[in-house]
Amino acid sequence: MADGLLNVRVVSPDRIVFEGEASAVVAPAWDGQVGILRGHAPMLTLIGSGEMTIDRPSGGSDSFYVAAGVLKVERDRVTLLTEYAGDEPPEQIPADAIVFADDSDG
Amino acid sequence: MAGYADVKRRIKSVENTRQITRTMELVATSKLKRATDRVRATRPYAEALHEIVSGLYSPSLSEKYPILRRPDVTKRAAILLCTANRGLAGGFNANLIKRARNLMEDLRGQGIETELHVAGKKGIAFFRFRGVEMLTQRTDISDHPTVDDAESLIAPIRERFESGEVDAVYLISSKFKSAMSTPPRTRDLLPIEADAQASSADAYILSPSGDVILERILPAYIRNAVYTALVENAAAEQGSRRTAMKSATDNAGDVLEHLTRTLNRVRQAQITQEIAEIVGGSAALE
Repeated sequence: MADGLLNVRVVSPDRIVFEGEASAVVAPAWDGQVGILRGHAPMLTLIGSGEMTIDRPSGGSDSFYVAAGVLKVERDRVTLLTEYAGDEPPEQIPADAIVFADDSDG
Repeated sequence: MAGYADVKRRIKSVENTRQITRTMELVATSKLKRATDRVRATRPYAEALHEIVSGLYSPSLSEKYPILRRPDVTKRAAILLCTANRGLAGGFNANLIKRARNLMEDLRGQGIETELHVAGKKGIAFFRFRGVEMLTQRTDISDHPTVDDAESLIAPIRERFESGEVDAVYLISSKFKSAMSTPPRTRDLLPIEADAQASSADAYILSPSGDVILERILPAYIRNAVYTALVENAAAEQGSRRTAMKSATDNAGDVLEHLTRTLNRVRQAQITQEIAEIVGGSAALE
C-alpha cells in the first residue's frame, strides 16, 4: 500500500462494488456522514442509506448510493458491507436499514 | 429376432433421445458457467460478514435479543429444504429429499417436533404426495436467486424463532464442491452458532454499540446464509444435470452401437435367406 492511502473495499451480497486505494472515504453512517482518512482509529459502525464518496489518490472521486450494512475500519483498511449499492438511490429501502428516530434502543 | 423395421424404428427413437439429452447437457453447461461465477461472487461478502459477526458475538447478549436466544430444550425445529423446480438432474432432488426425511426422523427420535418449509417444485411434489404438511411452499425461485428471494423465504421462519414457536432452524441445500460432486448439506441456521473466540470488539469504536450493531446485522447474516445456499443450490442443480445428461448421451451412443449391429445382422440374415430360397428354387426346376 502506498503511503497515506486507504485500502477500500465495498461489497454487496452478489458482487464487489469497489476495490482499490483511496485518499479519503465519506460514508453515510447511521447517525450522519462519517469521513475516514488514513490513521483512523479502528471502528465498526452501522450504515444508513445515502451517498458514499471515495476520493481517488490521483484526484477525482467515485460516488454511489448504499443502503443498510456495516462499515469497518482497521489499520487503514476500510470494508463496507452493504445490502444495496448502485448509481441511483434504492427504490425501496431494505427492511433492516436504519431509519432515523424510529428506535429508542440506539 | 426382431424384424428389420422394428430395429430401424428403435434406432430412430434412441437417436431422438440422444439429441434431446445432448441439448440439455449443452444448456446445463452454459448455465453452470454463469451459476459458478455467481457462487464465487457471493464469497467476499459472506466471509467479511462472518468475520464481523463472530468478532461481536458474546454469549451474554443472548438474553437481550430474541434472535440470539438459545433455548435450553428444543421442542420444535423448522427445516428449510431447498430443492429444484425441475427434474432430470440425476440424484440431485432425491438426495436432498432423503436428507430432509432422515433429519426429520432423527429429530422425532429425540422427541422434537418438526415442521417443514420447502422451496422447489420437486420437494413440494414429493411431500405433498406423502401427505406431509408444509408451512411454506415456494416455486418462484429461479435459476438466478436474489437476496429478496432469500429474505422472503427466511423472514417468516426467523419470526417464528424469535417468537419462540420453533427453537431451532435447519437449512438443507446442496453444497457445490464441483460440477461432479454436489452432496446435500445441513446447516444449523438458528440458534446462532457462536465461535467461542474472544470478542475482538473491545479495541473498536462501536457506533451505536456492539449489541445494537449485532442485532441489526444478524438478520442480514442469516439472510445471507440462505442467499448463498440458494445460489450454490442453483449451481449444483446445473452441475448435477450436466453430469446426468452427459451419461445419458453416452449411454444412448452405446445403445445405438448395439442396435446398429443388430440391424446389420438382421439384414444379412434376410439376404442369406433370399439367396438360399433362389438357389433352392432353381435347383427344384432342374
